Amino acid sequence: MPLVCPDGAVVAYAWKRQLAGQAGASAVDRTRLALKAFTDQKRRFFPHLDDGLNGQSSASESVPKKHCGSQISTVTQQEELSDYRTLSDVLMHVEKDMPNMKIFTYQRLDWLKRASTLPCSAEEFLMDSSKEHDFHISNKPRLGLLGAVAADKVAVIELLFPSIFRAIISLHPAGSIDPDAVAFFSPDEGGSYVHARGFSVYHVFKHVTEHAAMALQHFLGTNTETALYSLLHWIFSYQTLFTEPCSKCKRLLSMDRQSDLLLPPVYHPYRSFCAIKSSSPQSISSTKNQTLDASHAYHVGCFSEEA
Amino acid sequence: MPLKWVFHWQPNAGTTVNSQMINEVSQCVESINGVKEGRWKATLTFYKPMFRDQAVPAEYPRDFLGISLPEQPNRYYFIIRSQKIVLEADSSIQMIMEKLQSYKSRVSLTFEGFQYQLGDFQLRVGKVAPSASENLRGIVFEVEYLPLSSMEKSRQILDGFVEIWQEAMSKRSLPGHFMHIEPNFAEFGLSDHYTSQHTAVQYATVMAQLISAVQTAQGVRN
Repeated sequence: MPLVCPDGAVVAYAWKRQLAGQAGASAVDRTRLALKAFTDQKRRFFPHLDDGLNGQSSASESVPKKHCGSQISTVTQQEELSDYRTLSDVLMHVEKDMPNMKIFTYQRLDWLKRASTLPCSAEEFLMDSSKEHDFHISNKPRLGLLGAVAADKVAVIELLFPSIFRAIISLHPAGSIDPDAVAFFSPDEGGSYVHARGFSVYHVFKHVTEHAAMALQHFLGTNTETALYSLLHWIFSYQTLFTEPCSKCKRLLSMDRQSDLLLPPVYHPYRSFCAIKSSSPQSISSTKNQTLDASHAYHVGCFSEEA
Repeated sequence: MPLKWVFHWQPNAGTTVNSQMINEVSQCVESINGVKEGRWKATLTFYKPMFRDQAVPAEYPRDFLGISLPEQPNRYYFIIRSQKIVLEADSSIQMIMEKLQSYKSRVSLTFEGFQYQLGDFQLRVGKVAPSASENLRGIVFEVEYLPLSSMEKSRQILDGFVEIWQEAMSKRSLPGHFMHIEPNFAEFGLSDHYTSQHTAVQYATVMAQLISAVQTAQGVRN
């Protein structure tokens, strides 16, 4: 298990702990063990550094590898995403792209107060929130919950898909576009444990949260400036959590062998995830291929690293 | 609250339920990794009006049911299926009815058995018998999916579960199958968000099916 520090930072290379009990091991054994631990954890925490190393194709792989085409569109993406430099920009664009998803922002303590009053129906909340946040907004639309006064203090983003899930993202520092934690919950859950580093009481959301932590690390490792934007779009793909069958076995529910639980496809690929839905002609064909990946979902046992 | 589907056992023509079938169903739940958690019990009562004088009985409903559910120990549910009415009352209403003597209990049935946890699913298997006797009249099966409360959003998940469940049950070769008939909740004024009133309506529907199955079996025998 990786070491998680109190401020949320993760110690990636914990291979030294594995050697601690191996007093009688030869130098070759120690080297072999260190290399294995080093490679495993590098693959897990810095997946973007693995490009080209895992070139073997597998029979189960259904996602086509993108090499040449992706490089051109990556440049286009970066140019476009460079427009999203502030939290307001990011949230405004995300809200346009994702009309079914409700987005709310909070200062850190305000979220803790809010979490303790949950659960409530989405309609009740929308009525409440329009009253609470009138202080911050004047005549702005609902996204104007992020008013000019509060923007630099926003530390928590709540994404709510009514009746499907609630995701909480923590930003650090407040007001930045740097996410440092994310967690998924049932829309009916409430209590002080509902925060970006908390875990749902339900297995399905626990699994999604664990997977989301890795996705977050991947987005941060690839490009910190676009990490929040990518993360929000990736979270959006989970609106089909309870409806879309697994892209490999074609079933919705499957018994996970490891945990003996019946789960829907909780793994959505993030490595080749593309958040851009550009309307510019030159990038349409390449982004079409890439956004197709976003709609794939896999059961834990059906997910392969190459996907 | 989490939504659930209530199933009733539909025996094949010419067969009846027996307690061995309940054991088979329980073993089937355990075969898909269900972990036994405890017991559960619900009751359903048919009420008949008590006439003080020779009042015309036509305006009094013949299908007035009262239901108590284990998840709501302080509540009692009334249903008049023919008029699509469901009502949630405090459980003390039963005492009030006793004192008023306006309606009397005609027949009372008990649904009871074991409860199982299977990850985010909670399952219940129960026998149906008159409260005063052990005469088995039917089997009920409940599937509850804990993370969701919206019936529309959870439909495919429950369908997926039913597929897995039917696969497991088919290996047991029992003379019958579990059936789920979804009532038209909107007719009862109920919304997509699941509540115990939805459960009460499902039990009233199950009851109607069980009565119909018994009558059909009697017809076959005759």
